[in-house]
Amino acid sequence: MKTINLAAQPSLLVVPPVITDADFRKFAEFFYRKTGIHFDESKRYFVDKRLVERIENTGADTFRAWFVALRFETDGAELQQLVNIMTVNETYFFREAYQFDCMVNNMLDEVAVRKRPGSRIRIWSIPSSTGEEPYSIAIYLLERWAKIDQYDVEILSSDIDTSVLKAAQRGIYSQRSVGNLPPQYLKKYFKPHGDNEWRISRDLVDSVEFSRVNLSEPTDTRRFRDIDVIFCRNLLIYFDDLSRRVAAEAMFDSMSPGGFICLGHSESMSRMSSLYTVRRFPDAMVYQKPLEA
Amino acid sequence: MYRILVVDDAATVRMYHRKLLSDAGWHTDEALNGVEALERVHAQEGDEAFDLYVVDVNMPRMDGYSFVRELRRLGPRHQAPVVMVSTEAQRQDVDAALDAGANTYLVKPAQPLDLVLSAALLLGDRDAALVAAQGART
Amino acid sequence: MGLKKHADASALHPVATRDYARDLPGLVAQMGDVEAAVRRWAVRDLGAYPAAVTALGARLAVETDSSVRSALFSTLSRLGGDDAVTAMLPLLRSEDPELRNGAIEVLSGLPEAVAPHIEALLCDRDSDVRIFTVNLLGDLRHLCVVAWLERVLMQDAAVNVVGAALEVLAEVGTAGSLTALRAVARRFPDDAFIAFAVDLAVERIGTP
Repeated sequence: MKTINLAAQPSLLVVPPVITDADFRKFAEFFYRKTGIHFDESKRYFVDKRLVERIENTGADTFRAWFVALRFETDGAELQQLVNIMTVNETYFFREAYQFDCMVNNMLDEVAVRKRPGSRIRIWSIPSSTGEEPYSIAIYLLERWAKIDQYDVEILSSDIDTSVLKAAQRGIYSQRSVGNLPPQYLKKYFKPHGDNEWRISRDLVDSVEFSRVNLSEPTDTRRFRDIDVIFCRNLLIYFDDLSRRVAAEAMFDSMSPGGFICLGHSESMSRMSSLYTVRRFPDAMVYQKPLEA
Repeated sequence: MYRILVVDDAATVRMYHRKLLSDAGWHTDEALNGVEALERVHAQEGDEAFDLYVVDVNMPRMDGYSFVRELRRLGPRHQAPVVMVSTEAQRQDVDAALDAGANTYLVKPAQPLDLVLSAALLLGDRDAALVAAQGART
Repeated sequence: MGLKKHADASALHPVATRDYARDLPGLVAQMGDVEAAVRRWAVRDLGAYPAAVTALGARLAVETDSSVRSALFSTLSRLGGDDAVTAMLPLLRSEDPELRNGAIEVLSGLPEAVAPHIEALLCDRDSDVRIFTVNLLGDLRHLCVVAWLERVLMQDAAVNVVGAALEVLAEVGTAGSLTALRAVARRFPDDAFIAFAVDLAVERIGTP
């Protein structure tokens, strides 16, 4: 009989963790409760692969051991990693553009009606990351809002990470990043840069106000006032429960009464705050600070 | 096919209610508090509005009474019947439910027959009501 | 008209002159201002003063504005500690769901501070208080959570308290919980929901 020297065959010692049906359902319920994202059986392959990755990365032997650590950890680090790995995190121009449609088709018109003559409309993009979002907003306003010539609009653009703010101000983007733009806008607002990149027009860069902001820091957020529309997309889902509340409250404070806030398409105020009203428009569902607030 | 929205912060209760209701032949969806429930309502298009709501009272963020009041304020397309479900059984709780706009009231844990029969009668689904009532007699 | 830049992101109306000193007594006084926004800022700024916990708790007893209440709960969560727990415990008995739920959220984030109180809460005469305590265990990061829940299964007479405990145990239960689960099935033999919830918890716990 041939004997196998296990020490020389390390791959035989390592059995990848198995994700049973019960494990999957336990994970799915926990994840839905925490984030609102629902994974059903059809997403089994997608989820199992990533669960195995988290289990192995944390050095746990089994799903059960990993889940207990996740459920009882005090700093929320593993949950953040988990949310990261289960969600798609790309940024690009005109990402989730239905919300920009909603902005120019409905939200801004409501905001405009309430504006005192001479006062500005203020739009806040946070996190603005490498700039695709605030510049998308700018292009939408110039190209697709009928009333842009009647109002002054400020675009405020914030992120906690100064390196992405710098990149945003440099304004150089990959082919992938601009891929969703209608060709006429690409031509109008960008110049080719190098072999396969694009540089956005200086006029657009100059029309956006950049700032470093930590949403959890009251001293950072208190100087933002009278904001009419906030885009806070795919950020809060990575926060722990308390930080989410604090951020939702800080943004509430910064907004004008009747102001609007857009979250990422799989995010919901239902897990963060009860201060906002749900508003359904033809293009999107958004949240509103009550007019009487 | 009738569509029912089950609203409760407890996943087990949602699962239990959904199973009873779908065994009776209806489509179900769920939400874990009043805010999410309003989002589900808003996400429905035109003729796909819910035909019935089964709503827990005690939920974080927005409780059952608040949800039903908000629902009724949304207008004519949002007057579908509401079954309120609560751990309480005091007069003030029944009053609060009816004042908010609910149609009937069950005390938790809801008995299968009570839930299904109430739902069937409020939906006007006579076949399902008959099956439920006859099932109770066996 | 069109896109405009503003050099500093300050408010577009003149900043209101400050009536209050920016120290602890001043901020506490500011918490009584007639404007909700002014009260909110006072609450948030009091987050820098651990000694403010009592004042924040006292404000909750009289504050009616939801946005200020929200800030009060968040600030108390951030400050934490035994005094925050003491301020939250009476709210579990409140008739106001916003206050109850706010308290549960704060308490579920303070595991070490709330732990010494859990057993007494789980023996409270009011079954609602016991349910809310089980609800807070649902998010509490403390190693005694499973043991506390198993005790509820073995001893609590109220079916809805037991139901709430089964809900949480489906997520955190261990092989050791199976004894308590079998006991529940025996104690409530005729309840369809309990039977369902026990089966679910057993299934989620899985075979070790």
